[in-house]
Amino acid sequence: MSVITLENIKKTYYLGDNTVNALRDVTLNVEEGEFVAITGPSGSGKSTLMHILGCLDRPTSGKYMLNGNDVSGLPMEALAEIRNRQIGFVFQGFNLLPRTTATENVEVPLLYSRPVLTSAERKDMALSALSSMGLADRVDHHPSQLSGGQQQRVAIARALVNNPAIILADEPTGNLDTKTSIEVMKLLQELRKEKGITIILITHEPEIAAYGTRIISMRDGLVVSDEANTPREDFDETRTAYKAEPVVAAAAVE
Amino acid sequence: MFTMLPVNLRLATRSLSRNPMRTLLTMLGIIIGVAAVLTMVALGTGARGTVEDEVASAGTNIVFVKSGNYTRGGDSVGIAAGRGAATTLIEADANAILDNIAGIRAVSPGLSLRTFISSNGENVFTRVLGIAVEFSDIYSWNMTSGRMLAPGAANEAVIGSTLAQTMFGGNAVGQEVELRGNTYTIVGITDSAIDDQPEILFVPWQTLQQSMDISHLDSITIAAEKAGETSRISGEVSVLLRARHGIESRDDVNFLAAQSGGGVEPDDFTVETQAAQALTKGLYTPAAAFALANLPKLDEVTLDEMANTLDRASNTMTALLASIAGVSLIVGGIGIMNIMLVSITERTREIGLRMATGARSADVAMQFLIEAVTLSVIGGCIGLILGLLSAKVIGWSLGWPASVSLTAMAMAIGIAATIGLIFGSYPARRASLLDPIDALRTE
Repeated sequence: MSVITLENIKKTYYLGDNTVNALRDVTLNVEEGEFVAITGPSGSGKSTLMHILGCLDRPTSGKYMLNGNDVSGLPMEALAEIRNRQIGFVFQGFNLLPRTTATENVEVPLLYSRPVLTSAERKDMALSALSSMGLADRVDHHPSQLSGGQQQRVAIARALVNNPAIILADEPTGNLDTKTSIEVMKLLQELRKEKGITIILITHEPEIAAYGTRIISMRDGLVVSDEANTPREDFDETRTAYKAEPVVAAAAVE
Repeated sequence: MFTMLPVNLRLATRSLSRNPMRTLLTMLGIIIGVAAVLTMVALGTGARGTVEDEVASAGTNIVFVKSGNYTRGGDSVGIAAGRGAATTLIEADANAILDNIAGIRAVSPGLSLRTFISSNGENVFTRVLGIAVEFSDIYSWNMTSGRMLAPGAANEAVIGSTLAQTMFGGNAVGQEVELRGNTYTIVGITDSAIDDQPEILFVPWQTLQQSMDISHLDSITIAAEKAGETSRISGEVSVLLRARHGIESRDDVNFLAAQSGGGVEPDDFTVETQAAQALTKGLYTPAAAFALANLPKLDEVTLDEMANTLDRASNTMTALLASIAGVSLIVGGIGIMNIMLVSITERTREIGLRMATGARSADVAMQFLIEAVTLSVIGGCIGLILGLLSAKVIGWSLGWPASVSLTAMAMAIGIAATIGLIFGSYPARRASLLDPIDALRTE
């Protein structure tokens, strides 16, 4: 079943006299349980696509079907509810609330659930999401008391807590070192395999995109390639010091 | 919306407790404003009460009706004299005054007599006043010992303090006094120092009237509910008594002409306010008497002016405190608005995150509105405590009673909450209109 169907999505920004065609014509279909990595350089339109997929923005034209419902014309208030129920966000900067415990951070989406949840229900759901991320012993820690990897796992727990249909991860490893990045990618792969959650990953690093089951490349607001991928499954960072590779390659060219 | 209230309250208190110094400074305007409002209400009420008490205890709310009409001056200034003594003032007049004229607190019929009274075989010449039990209320008596005459008791007496000293060496209560064939038991000593009251023996007027074998009264003493109404009351009493005594009504303005022309019947009573009486003391010159007898508006002007001056003083003070309170509440509100705007700028990413995870615009607006109201209400509570303290301190140092009603306290908190609502709504609206994408991008 298709979780996401995009038909001729266009997004145009008007900045004064300039017209920016962020998305020119994107048609895309994502099946349930796919791990789609969207790559592309800055200005390729991948962030705009991410915002539209995440219901944070509405397309200028085209049709967006999410779980079989057309959401492209919905008002912002309705989109807020869709974000709350169907979409989990994971950000590059984690976006955890400072001086707030891990549990309370994970509870944030639950505050806006309808029907309203009791504080006991919220706490139970947050604690079980944290346990599933292996953070059962960190529930009362503040973000400043957690490592980068732990913080991103709290953020993933927050994305998962409402049992969304899709997780949108926007450069989730951008602030992490190699080892932790691999851990996070492994975690996302497990979520896909074990819970069947559809994952959309935005990254500009090919090494990270390689963990997906499908890699979409974008350029100038268009999809330039869309290929199935055998997900990378080696999690030994000593053999995959991919961040060092471009430097080696550059040296070799010289 | 209201189901979110506990959550929003917790978010608000946490956010405010993160910057305790900033929170306190922000609340300062509200604190001062509410404290000023409360001090104003406390002292305003107290001061007004004191002023009214003082005016009342000075006796300016008392009106006398005297039987007869002795116009002072007489031949020497060429004014027609009044009727002289009369026996037309009766108890029914007193009751009619109480029943028909508004704003009267108490009325006491009076009979006055200078005579010998005897006790333990000793005769003393003194003044005796027949009164009703209301007399002690009219003059705000305190009893230094014993009690006031009991209602309906025929043979009780109250004695003035000086007379009690000279006759009984102070131990007057329980002593018996004989007067015109009746024996009275003294039940109390009054501390009154008004006029010659310390030297008077007070007995029930009915008993005195019987023993004198008469049916009229010498006087009626009237207490107005409010100081400053005595002029109106004395005017109405005159009209009422003229009607009751069958005296042709006439215009006061033409009084002098009518009197000298002789065509009109003079009154058989005199109505006087205590203020006018006080003015005439020591002014028994024919000219002064002429002025007083023929300027019935004089005491009115004096009283009204006195009441107005007191009102003006108290209004000025209230206006001063009210403007301090108003200005600091507005400044406090602006402070809250300012800090809320700063806080929203600092927490733009948080707002973006909340929106991305499903918060609607209304949820975000409510969160910040409740934070602003929490800020102002906590400030209001601190201001309430400070206001009560300052009212006590000022009241104590100026000797004013400071009273604050629960309504006033609730009102102060209500004002604080309203300030929070008014000045928090703009920042809350700004927060709710943020675009989640831009908000999440903010560094």
